[in-house]
Amino acid sequence: MTLTSLDPGILKAAHPVPGAPNNWKRFFSFNTDAKVIGIQYIVTSLFFLLVGGLLAMIMRGELITPEADLVDRTVYNALYTMHGTIMLFLFMFPVLNGLNNLLIPCMIGAPDMAFPRLNAAAFWLVPVFGVILMASFLVPGGPAASGWWSYPPVSLQNPLGHLINGEALWITAVALSGVSSIMGAVNFVTTILRMRAPGMTFFRMPIFCWTALSAQTIQLIGLPALTGGAVMLLFDLVAGTSFYRPEGGGDPVLYQHFFWFYSHPAVYVIILPVFGIFSELFPVHARKPLFGYVFVAIASLVIVGLSLVVWVHHMFPSGVPQWMRDLFMVSTMLIAVPTGIKVFAWLGTLWGGKIQLNTPMLFSLGGLFNFVFAGVTGIMLATVPVDIHVNNTYFVVGHFHYVIYGAATMGVYAAIYHWFPKFTGHMYFEGLGKLHFLLTFVGTNLNFFPMHPLGLMGMPRRVSSYDPEFAFWNVIASLGGFLLGVSIIPFLLNLVSSWVWGPKAPANPWKAIGLEWLLPSPPPAENFEDNVPTVISGPYGYGTGKPLVEHQEAYERALQEA
Amino acid sequence: MTSSAPIRFNRAAVAAVSAWVGVLVLLSHWLGQQAYRWLPVQASSAAPLVDDLFSLETAIACFVFVGVVSVMAYVLLFNRAEKYDMDDAAPVEGNTLLEIIWTVIPLVLVMAIAWTTIGVNREIGSIGPMDHSHGATSEAIAGAPTAEIQVIARQWSWEFRYPDAAVSSTELHLPAGRRVGLQLESADVIHGFYVPAFRLKQQVIPGRSIAFFITPTREGRYRLRDSEYSGTWFAANQVDVVVQSEDAYQDWLTRAATQPLRPGISDASREYAQQQSRLRSSGYPTVPPAPPPMVNVPGSNTLPHAG
Amino acid sequence: MTTLPPAPAGPTPAHGEGHASHPSYTLTGFIIFLCSESVIFLAFFAAYALLKSTATSWLPPGVEGLEWRTPLQFTVVLVSSSGTIAVAEHFLGKKRLWAFRGFLLLTMAMGALFLYGQASEWSGLSFGFTTGTFGSLFYLLTGFHGLHVATGILLMGLMLGRSFYPGNYEEGEQGVIAVSLFWHFVDVIWVLLFLLLYAWQA
Repeated sequence: MTLTSLDPGILKAAHPVPGAPNNWKRFFSFNTDAKVIGIQYIVTSLFFLLVGGLLAMIMRGELITPEADLVDRTVYNALYTMHGTIMLFLFMFPVLNGLNNLLIPCMIGAPDMAFPRLNAAAFWLVPVFGVILMASFLVPGGPAASGWWSYPPVSLQNPLGHLINGEALWITAVALSGVSSIMGAVNFVTTILRMRAPGMTFFRMPIFCWTALSAQTIQLIGLPALTGGAVMLLFDLVAGTSFYRPEGGGDPVLYQHFFWFYSHPAVYVIILPVFGIFSELFPVHARKPLFGYVFVAIASLVIVGLSLVVWVHHMFPSGVPQWMRDLFMVSTMLIAVPTGIKVFAWLGTLWGGKIQLNTPMLFSLGGLFNFVFAGVTGIMLATVPVDIHVNNTYFVVGHFHYVIYGAATMGVYAAIYHWFPKFTGHMYFEGLGKLHFLLTFVGTNLNFFPMHPLGLMGMPRRVSSYDPEFAFWNVIASLGGFLLGVSIIPFLLNLVSSWVWGPKAPANPWKAIGLEWLLPSPPPAENFEDNVPTVISGPYGYGTGKPLVEHQEAYERALQEA
Repeated sequence: MTSSAPIRFNRAAVAAVSAWVGVLVLLSHWLGQQAYRWLPVQASSAAPLVDDLFSLETAIACFVFVGVVSVMAYVLLFNRAEKYDMDDAAPVEGNTLLEIIWTVIPLVLVMAIAWTTIGVNREIGSIGPMDHSHGATSEAIAGAPTAEIQVIARQWSWEFRYPDAAVSSTELHLPAGRRVGLQLESADVIHGFYVPAFRLKQQVIPGRSIAFFITPTREGRYRLRDSEYSGTWFAANQVDVVVQSEDAYQDWLTRAATQPLRPGISDASREYAQQQSRLRSSGYPTVPPAPPPMVNVPGSNTLPHAG
Repeated sequence: MTTLPPAPAGPTPAHGEGHASHPSYTLTGFIIFLCSESVIFLAFFAAYALLKSTATSWLPPGVEGLEWRTPLQFTVVLVSSSGTIAVAEHFLGKKRLWAFRGFLLLTMAMGALFLYGQASEWSGLSFGFTTGTFGSLFYLLTGFHGLHVATGILLMGLMLGRSFYPGNYEEGEQGVIAVSLFWHFVDVIWVLLFLLLYAWQA
């Protein structure tokens, strides 16, 4: 196929697919362009971040004093349940799928995802199950209130006896979330396996694609187990079956196995893309190649394998035999090794680099700091005797919030700032970005560090009231929480005002190396269209002077003239 | 073509790094010692084992964390680019030797921790054979072996029965200095039997009767908290554990057997009754609390506790 | 205006307005989906195996065991239908559409016969979905599988209908191959189910 000359006019506008509105309305339609779907996912997830965050503010308001004096205990239990559920299923997974949609096709030189309509369908399920979950606040019995784990038998207690109750809606929403995620996973894996640009072998693929491939593989393997466990829970709840009911011969611990068989790997679904983000951002903003690219890539696959055989570490105090505790302790410890390889790779990348302390870099560095802290407390949690003491205490809550907020969400913020110019065509305001970082970093540490001494002292999690000796650290944690609530304001202000009024962004504001940076800002509907470049070297060639693609100068010149 | 940076052995750098590592070791050791203070008082034979392990882990964690952060700090101090300088740095793409080192050393370290911990697990020896009795009929539970103390967890109270002495209470009394067997049972949902001062925790699962062993070592009054979310008054499901000398413990049992049965501690029942007397309910519908168990000795959960 | 050099020869996933040269990824995606779907069955199998091995009393009162001869007959029907759909695929490859349609219809009929057998077994059982753990698991496993059989029959009907559109197979036969894979998958699951439920009755 021969190319015609590249019309710079095409490079100017991001035109959506034929038939879709060529303005802001396209974000509210069943649009099959991955870049539109990506924005849809991200904006929807940010909305739910606010909802989940509001619930957290009320929770921290309750916990600033020892007594259950702000809201009724039943309300508090519903709040913490919905906080966790919303944050995971309506913020974290969707925002990562949004980044996948924006980044994967562009990074591999594909025009779109493998199955564009499946892609749109997967997105539109999110507001659907979001509404179902939020609707549970309106049913007479109130929302689900058994934690985001929903362990039976307590989750099967249905005081009003209604068929349509909060727990049933919760299970339905989570099941639909699973369907949406599996649809996405099939799409992402097929796209990465089959649609890479010519010359882009696996070991010339950006790490973000490696980690996305790994994370989505985990989704494919783990989610159906959760779905199966949830289906059985729903039947026990509404149909009177006895999968988990002891009276009928069922076993409540069986649910724990199903739940954690997915939900442990799920945390790697969350953190692997963030590892990918750090692996992309550190080279760009330190102007150095990623240290040990091949090891980092392979470590992602090792993490997939190991993540599937550690789940019982969430069940050490439940009814599992000693040999099982020992076995899963060993497997859990092993996962520190590929994770450590990545951390050291990032340090190796930063060392001797030329560090640019812009907002994406600040969030990446802060995320790394928080992640290492979470990692070392994770080693503590992996050892059975210590875990027996701190399991289900605030120590665990502190640990996972350091990962989920301190590392993963900060990584997501880093990615949003880094690729904002590319996908919106506007630069964000750096001052607001730095303010966002400062408030977030301080707020995160103030909110979640105190949870560690609280857990060590024996304060259980999920409590609506506590003994007075825990008050001191709870006050600090609550203040940190309120600061986090405030920190979201500069972020939202920045996103909105930059997209509307921000200065026009060049194609490559960071002078980064990657196929997405050879596209205009924002890229046209089918990215490279008929001019897909041929990749001739690995990614992260900073300082080597090697071009990434054949005829690179021609692509760069076309961008200049557009 | 990959460029692997040769590690240049600059004497001053080696000396500085060694000195810093020395500082880290001292800091980590110190922090490991501090770790004991973050934990409650040690009241069982398991506690020193757990605390020693935690102290070791704290020291290692401190070394790793501060080590990594100090590298980041160095980079932030000495590797900053000039304001508008977006040129590339030196193209160091990797170093296979380093990769091997930082794969093998962590592997050895975590396996060493795991190995020692398996030994600690054995020593603690808190769980007995997993007794299953599916079908939580009273016959099934009655058929389970009789331990010294039977613990019945409910929404939301704890009942302790001493079958040999025909005593029941809602305050757990234990003798110091010897191994005690408990049989943990739940009447409704999963609860968590957790005594922070003992460093021990076990889920109490309906349909099973779980044998659990403790060796209390220090007299005093400690908190027992429900650690597995069990519904509305989960947070209020707390009672006390009183560890006494063997003589005092036997005394208490003898005197308790003569006490008439009366309602034991259930903060949930008290709060529920208060709520019922109000005109409007303030929350979502809830499972009503089980009535407080009728026991010889209710005890107290409002006295000062040591941990 | 800048002229870009000619595109390289080879499998460039580029396409013009009509997406005429767009390679099909349907089979890759479908196979990935099937692998994922198998895990939900594995989860149910694991539940059955675990609960059965740790139960003190397993079968509901009054139930001695499952009758296995009739289900075995219906198993033969289902497994044979994997053969008939393979034959149908073969004829499609040879562009003998009427033979294809005939064997596809035969496969659908055999699937429907299997479902009929499942339903009549259900109606003859003395225990229900809510009769203890065994009842819950039995109906969950066979019901979920039956749902997949029904879905397979519907998909085959869809393929049958589409076979009448002119030019349906110009871009390949991925749809038929995918449905055929699905049917084989449903078959394999049944064989495992049969072994679990009817063979392992100790």
